[in-house]
Amino acid sequence: MNTGTGSHIEKIFYDDDIVKKFVMATMIWGAAAFVFGLIIATQLAYWPLNTNWEWVSFGRLRPLHTNAAIFAFAGNAIFAGIYHSTQRLLKARMFSDALSKIHFWGWQLIIVSAAITLPLGYTQSKEYAELEWPIDIAITLIWVVFAINFFGTIKRRREKHMYVAIWFYIATIITVAVLHIVNSIEIPVGMLQSYPVYSGIQDALVQWWYGHNAVAFFLTTPFLGLMYYYVPKAANRPVYSYRLSIVHFWALVFIYIWAGPHHLLYTSLPEWAQTLGMIFSLMLWAPSWGGMINGLLTLKGSWHLLRTEPLIKFFVAALTFYGMSTFEGPLLSIKSVSALGHYTDWIIGHVHSGALGWNGMLTFGMIYFLVPRLWKTELYSKKLLENHFWISLTGVLLYYISLVVAGITQGMMWRAVDKDGALVYPDFIETVVRIVPLYWVRALGGLLFIIGFVMMCYNIYKTIKAAPKNQEPESVQVSRSGYDEKNEQPHRKLEGMGLTFSVLAFLAIAVGSVIEIYPTLSLHKYVNPANIVEPHTPLEIAGRDVYIKEGCYTCHSQQIRPIASEVLRYGPASTIEESMYDRPFQWGSKRTGPDLSRVGKKYPNLWHLNHMIDPRAVTPKSIMPNYPWLAEKNTDYLSLRKKLSVLKMLGVPYEDDVVANADIHAQKQAMEIAADLESNGAPKGLEKKEIVALIAYLQSLGQKGKK
Amino acid sequence: MSDNNNNNEKFHEYDGIIEHDNPLPMWWLWTFFLTIIFSFIYFIHYELAGGQTQSEELAAAMAEIEQAQSKAHTSSPMETEESLKAAFGNDGILALGESQYTSKCASCHGAQLQGLIGPNLADKFWVHGKGTRMDIVKVIRDGVAEKGMPPWGPVMKKDEIYAVSAFILAKRGTQAPDAKEPQGEAVEDYLTAQ
Repeated sequence: MNTGTGSHIEKIFYDDDIVKKFVMATMIWGAAAFVFGLIIATQLAYWPLNTNWEWVSFGRLRPLHTNAAIFAFAGNAIFAGIYHSTQRLLKARMFSDALSKIHFWGWQLIIVSAAITLPLGYTQSKEYAELEWPIDIAITLIWVVFAINFFGTIKRRREKHMYVAIWFYIATIITVAVLHIVNSIEIPVGMLQSYPVYSGIQDALVQWWYGHNAVAFFLTTPFLGLMYYYVPKAANRPVYSYRLSIVHFWALVFIYIWAGPHHLLYTSLPEWAQTLGMIFSLMLWAPSWGGMINGLLTLKGSWHLLRTEPLIKFFVAALTFYGMSTFEGPLLSIKSVSALGHYTDWIIGHVHSGALGWNGMLTFGMIYFLVPRLWKTELYSKKLLENHFWISLTGVLLYYISLVVAGITQGMMWRAVDKDGALVYPDFIETVVRIVPLYWVRALGGLLFIIGFVMMCYNIYKTIKAAPKNQEPESVQVSRSGYDEKNEQPHRKLEGMGLTFSVLAFLAIAVGSVIEIYPTLSLHKYVNPANIVEPHTPLEIAGRDVYIKEGCYTCHSQQIRPIASEVLRYGPASTIEESMYDRPFQWGSKRTGPDLSRVGKKYPNLWHLNHMIDPRAVTPKSIMPNYPWLAEKNTDYLSLRKKLSVLKMLGVPYEDDVVANADIHAQKQAMEIAADLESNGAPKGLEKKEIVALIAYLQSLGQKGKK
Repeated sequence: MSDNNNNNEKFHEYDGIIEHDNPLPMWWLWTFFLTIIFSFIYFIHYELAGGQTQSEELAAAMAEIEQAQSKAHTSSPMETEESLKAAFGNDGILALGESQYTSKCASCHGAQLQGLIGPNLADKFWVHGKGTRMDIVKVIRDGVAEKGMPPWGPVMKKDEIYAVSAFILAKRGTQAPDAKEPQGEAVEDYLTAQ
């Protein structure tokens, strides 16, 4: 082993070309994510913007917006920051330039494939995991490429001890791999369609273990790592506390993984899992704030920089929004607060204070820091940067406040019961109409955020344009350091052991995952045989796939909580058995429209036909999009045998004849529904159309209990 | 400076970033400890010591609501054809009835009551009952599940149901050009006797 600090000086080149690429990709995909966000925000305020064009209706675009924001914008920002800071913190060029390039282009290809498949309706309907199985495989491969490249760099490092930023990167890479693989175990039923192996409460639990920890390990830990590098760098201030880093890092990665079930409070998920989700969310408050404290106290004493280095403002705002949303998160995880806030826009406001405030502002600060250094020039305009900051801050605040008010208002209206024991606002649409003005304010907030971003694009463009041409990569002189350190404390020793550190990080996230997920894998233990329901008929399965494809779950839940006002409004609370064959589960997470778990047989078939073609024909003031194409597109009967055979293999008790003749059974049921529609005045020939399959599915909801 | 420990001195350095080793803020540490203590107590209470489950919580809340509902039900006077006749004569009831009809009924029964998904409401043919006030109020309030008529009792207030019923009766015999064909039994005196 080479010992002795500074004994041997080496000249190396950092690969900044890959960093530049990721920075540009961040900007481009950021623009896409924000614009799609503005479009769907405006669709909620002004329904005609859904048009009659299937590819731009809310249910198709919403997953595109979330995926673009998380994996394209934030993802590329993370990679830019990790590739830039890791090389410097480890004093080593990235392990392999080829892997760096494969990572970059592979990731962009995945994003492009998402941008094509999601508007076309290819989706698994699992939030932030919508992409279908071939893309899931591609994500896994590219992530492995990234991991090899990253851990290879650790192996070749010249700095013995890994800085706290590297700890967070390690936790990110390991955990995202585990989350993605476990949540994506699915059986293909077509080139771009699959059913998950998990069903009902299992699928809900695994999905929200994934969904919550996508926030934790894609939007929190990597950004904390970036914060630990770029905040002290930009402010040129020492990091406040090493021991705080140790305590909050390990507490964060150990506790975060347990918190997923707080997305499922008051659902049919077993109560012990809900309680674990709530209490671990509460215990997460302090570890989350550890990062904010370390960041803000690092900046303490450098407030004068806010004038001379205005990009620090972005970091201060990012840390403040991080502190706000990691306080609000535990608050919303308290069961009684969740009872009010769940399914409302409060949650959307909450995630955007994190996504725009924390991830967005930190990324902007990082890019303003990186671009002049990477292109070896000065930023074009500090004034423009300053304007960008204030306008986007106003935008985020307008966005957040309007949605918190909307969410609490609607939540209070849903639960209001008068002295005679009746709902005060029994008509769901009344509660929607009340908050539509706030949807306009939210869209305005989003617009301001985008205007700020356009200023940034211009600023960055002018900066790069003014950069000196034909820059040769510059070598840096590094020497191996830290290898002669004496009397290392235990954690200090660990920081010198990349593999052991990574294994321990893996174990930290494995404990909570196994304890929560393992018991529900034996679903039968939770099912009461007396309440077992009948599975969906083949036509209903076809209709269910239409429901998934159109993204109905983005606005409608199928989960009635055991809360009195909810039982009054929708009927008896949902049971475990009612979703036991649901692959994927359709509980939803937002009620822009009412819950649908007991909508079956509530209205005639013709009502549904009219409602899907023009919702306002039956519900004046509805903000739901029109779905005219459902009466034009043919139902995919041919794939039903395959679909049912996969469902049967996964344990749904279909008789052999039903599987073998699934399409015939489906067509027979479709004829009956079409005949009923026709006898009430609807046009002929609808039995071939998707609308009939969807009506069959909707009419079956809540009707599958034992006769 | 009285600070004589190492906290504010360079502890480590990475790529020019200096790391200090200040102590953990006490308020932060205590926040962490208190959330852990609370969480233990909460888990023990609800999961091990028999604290109220969600279904028990729901049962208690529903019992309260049912009590309020039955109280409201018994304290309101008994409905009869005569009491409804009196109630339907209230001032302004037809205007309220029309607005309720337009927003809730017209989508299925037609803006002119001529019938669309649901039957014609202005002709003399009746599917459920014989067109008495009691019959109309009952169908609106309880619905007819097998025909797809939803129960409006949970959605509309008593005054609103009365108003819509009065509105429908006031429109009896009106003939829309595109009226739906008759369904049910003819009840001649419904058009005249009331």
